[in-house]
Amino acid sequence: MNDHKRRKSKKRSQLSWAVGSVASGAAVLALATIALYPHQGHAEVLASAKVATHAKVAAKPAAHGASSQQPIVYKNPPRSLIPQGRQLFAEDCQTCHGPDAEGSVRAPNLQGLGAATVDFWVATGRMPLADPTEEAEIKPPRLSHEQQLAVSAYVASLAPGGPAIPSPNLGLANLSKGESLFAENCAACHTITGAGDALANNIYAPSLWAATPTEVAEAIRTGPGDMPRFGPGTFSNQEVDDIVRYVAYIQHPDDRGGLALGGVGPVAEGFVAILIGLGSLMVAGYWIGGRAQ
Amino acid sequence: MSTLEQRAVDAADFADERLGVAKFARSSFNKIFPDHWSFMLGEIAMYSFVILIFTGVFLTLFYVPSSHMITYHGSYAPLRGQKMSEAYASTLNISFNVRAGLVMRQIHHWAADVFIAAIVVHLLRIFFTGAYRKPRELNWIIGSSLLILAIVNGFIGYSLPDDLISGTGIRIAFSIILSIPVIGSYLAFFVFGSNFPGTSIIPRFFIIHVLILPAIIAALIGAHLAIMWHQKHTQYPGRGRTNRNVVGIPFWPAYALQAGGFFFITSAVIAALGGFVQINPIWLYGPYIPYKVSYAVQPDWYMGWLDGALRLMPSWEAVFGPTYGGHMIPNVFFPAVLLPGITFGLLFSWPWIEKRFTKDDREHNICDRPREHPVRTSVGVGILMFYIVLFLASATDVLANTFQTSLNLVLWTLRIMLFVLPLVAGLVTYLLLREMAAIPSIGDPKIPVEIRRDFDGSFTLAELSIHGEEEEILELPEEVAYRSLVGGHGHSAPSMDTNGDQSSVETSEAGDDHGVFEVPRD
Repeated sequence: MNDHKRRKSKKRSQLSWAVGSVASGAAVLALATIALYPHQGHAEVLASAKVATHAKVAAKPAAHGASSQQPIVYKNPPRSLIPQGRQLFAEDCQTCHGPDAEGSVRAPNLQGLGAATVDFWVATGRMPLADPTEEAEIKPPRLSHEQQLAVSAYVASLAPGGPAIPSPNLGLANLSKGESLFAENCAACHTITGAGDALANNIYAPSLWAATPTEVAEAIRTGPGDMPRFGPGTFSNQEVDDIVRYVAYIQHPDDRGGLALGGVGPVAEGFVAILIGLGSLMVAGYWIGGRAQ
Repeated sequence: MSTLEQRAVDAADFADERLGVAKFARSSFNKIFPDHWSFMLGEIAMYSFVILIFTGVFLTLFYVPSSHMITYHGSYAPLRGQKMSEAYASTLNISFNVRAGLVMRQIHHWAADVFIAAIVVHLLRIFFTGAYRKPRELNWIIGSSLLILAIVNGFIGYSLPDDLISGTGIRIAFSIILSIPVIGSYLAFFVFGSNFPGTSIIPRFFIIHVLILPAIIAALIGAHLAIMWHQKHTQYPGRGRTNRNVVGIPFWPAYALQAGGFFFITSAVIAALGGFVQINPIWLYGPYIPYKVSYAVQPDWYMGWLDGALRLMPSWEAVFGPTYGGHMIPNVFFPAVLLPGITFGLLFSWPWIEKRFTKDDREHNICDRPREHPVRTSVGVGILMFYIVLFLASATDVLANTFQTSLNLVLWTLRIMLFVLPLVAGLVTYLLLREMAAIPSIGDPKIPVEIRRDFDGSFTLAELSIHGEEEEILELPEEVAYRSLVGGHGHSAPSMDTNGDQSSVETSEAGDDHGVFEVPRD
């Protein structure tokens, strides 16, 4: 009696999961298609709209050079900030760099490096260091924007030379040229998605996803740390502007296709395929298959 | 009998009277399949392959297999105006303009990743249960060949979009072929039709990827299943299971429903990944131009062990003869040609290697429990650990960046782990299994007990009968199932029960019982 009932209910459950899995399979396929559908055919519109917004956002720091039709305007901070800069330099920098930024055994000479170099190091929070033995890493800047400009103005006033602080005008940039230049010159360390990565011997190429257009242009022109310097003989201002534009783009790229896996490529994809894809299928197999007798 | 059923019967009669299919259908529908979740791993691979075929056919409608350089004027703004191969431009077109193109591309790619993962897990199940032993050595060979073909075809498919990352992969493949002693340069030029990159490799890869390898894979899967069908599936030891019988569920309807349902589950999981998780966003990588390269280039996961071996290999080279005029074997040869050669050589010959030690030439239709064979299991775990370390080594840069440590430290750690971890893992497995073997009741089913407290306060312990939960093993009445196939409803069913207990079958309709059956193996 009982046996018979059990068999009947087993048959019913077998049928119900067969029907259920067919239905859920179809539903997921439909959902997946719908999730991607709205993009199809409107790609052009979306892409150009996105480019326009980014250009607007990214062009903001270039405000004081906006009237000019130059791709990049280099400008030293106002000289009125120099006294404040001298004061800040004495507080935060001269212990290592020396009172006149001439350098010491602990830190390099800064004279003649220009405002862009100093601005890059303090604006990205790498300088000043709390302790001269620690590594200069990206962190929230300790100095305010005005203080950053003041220190840069002071160091730039000590000796001529070096680039002033660049303001890229992204409205004049060519995104596609930027991609090409980025792939050729930057991707070999920063990776093509700009995620950054570890290079040999503790050296690493930082992620570019939080860099402002001014910082990117400063880095290209001054070559901070282990990065090579790309001077005017290598890149024109237009080309630097193009690269800066592409870096701004990959910070918010066209990321269709669903959940992006951190931009680190096949390693993350492999883990998802094995753990989530195969893993959930094995759980499903365990669910519908027999167990040990 | 309804009209629909009558039509089905008529159709079956039509086929039977002309082709004599009823006899074959009867024996096929009554085929007994041992039912265990671990026997379904190969099914995941097969269903993924079916999904690969369907999505792949869709993609061929839009993909252009050409290295011809064109100027891109499509809808993805950041690449507009750039020179790129038609192959890459058409993959952009599939991703941005073809309706459902991107979801198809992503399902195809996820299916490939799951396909090979399922093959590997299926292989591990076969290995650790000893299911490759006589008479199944041929299917072991076919299965191992399928693994190689799947990896090769996966790599070629990954190369077809001709983006910056996959182009670098082809470049590495060219160098690996070059590194083969004596014939390397000839072979590389033969495969590529010229020096790298040339214009032949994309069209050649395409025809290999969509025609040649899928045809071979499909044929081998057919042979794999036919041999399994002919030899009958292995089963785990258990009540009523012997080396000479098969105990399980009949193909129709129980197994067919289970397998069919599992196909839809596989499709659902892979389609969900394709729809909701991005894979290989080639537009962010840009076109492949030989002088451009991105750092941190990894292959798909199934090539990871080879990439890892390349990364871990020190820059040693072997030079034969004088420094000038001698023959040099570059260091790429050892991790990228020799290692896979040894790997697959070992894999193919494993059943005979084991036979040499065990001198066991008997037929085995009962799977081993991995714990009962400590040597095989610990050797397997050690070898597996070796490849897991190589796999991790393909992500040295990601590991170093994630843990903010030196790449060189990661590299040297993995070099040491490559030799230490397999030994440790194998040894620990061996010791654990020896310990387990010493436990008398290991592996016995756990019997539920009932603890009773009596009125006087004393406790007594009683084992509960688990008989009620046990399955009954029935003998399959072929004639009954046959009648049900041709619409035999209403016929009274003869006893299905070995012990003559009629009560359980009196009311069940012929042929659609879902019990567990036993048939002789021969």
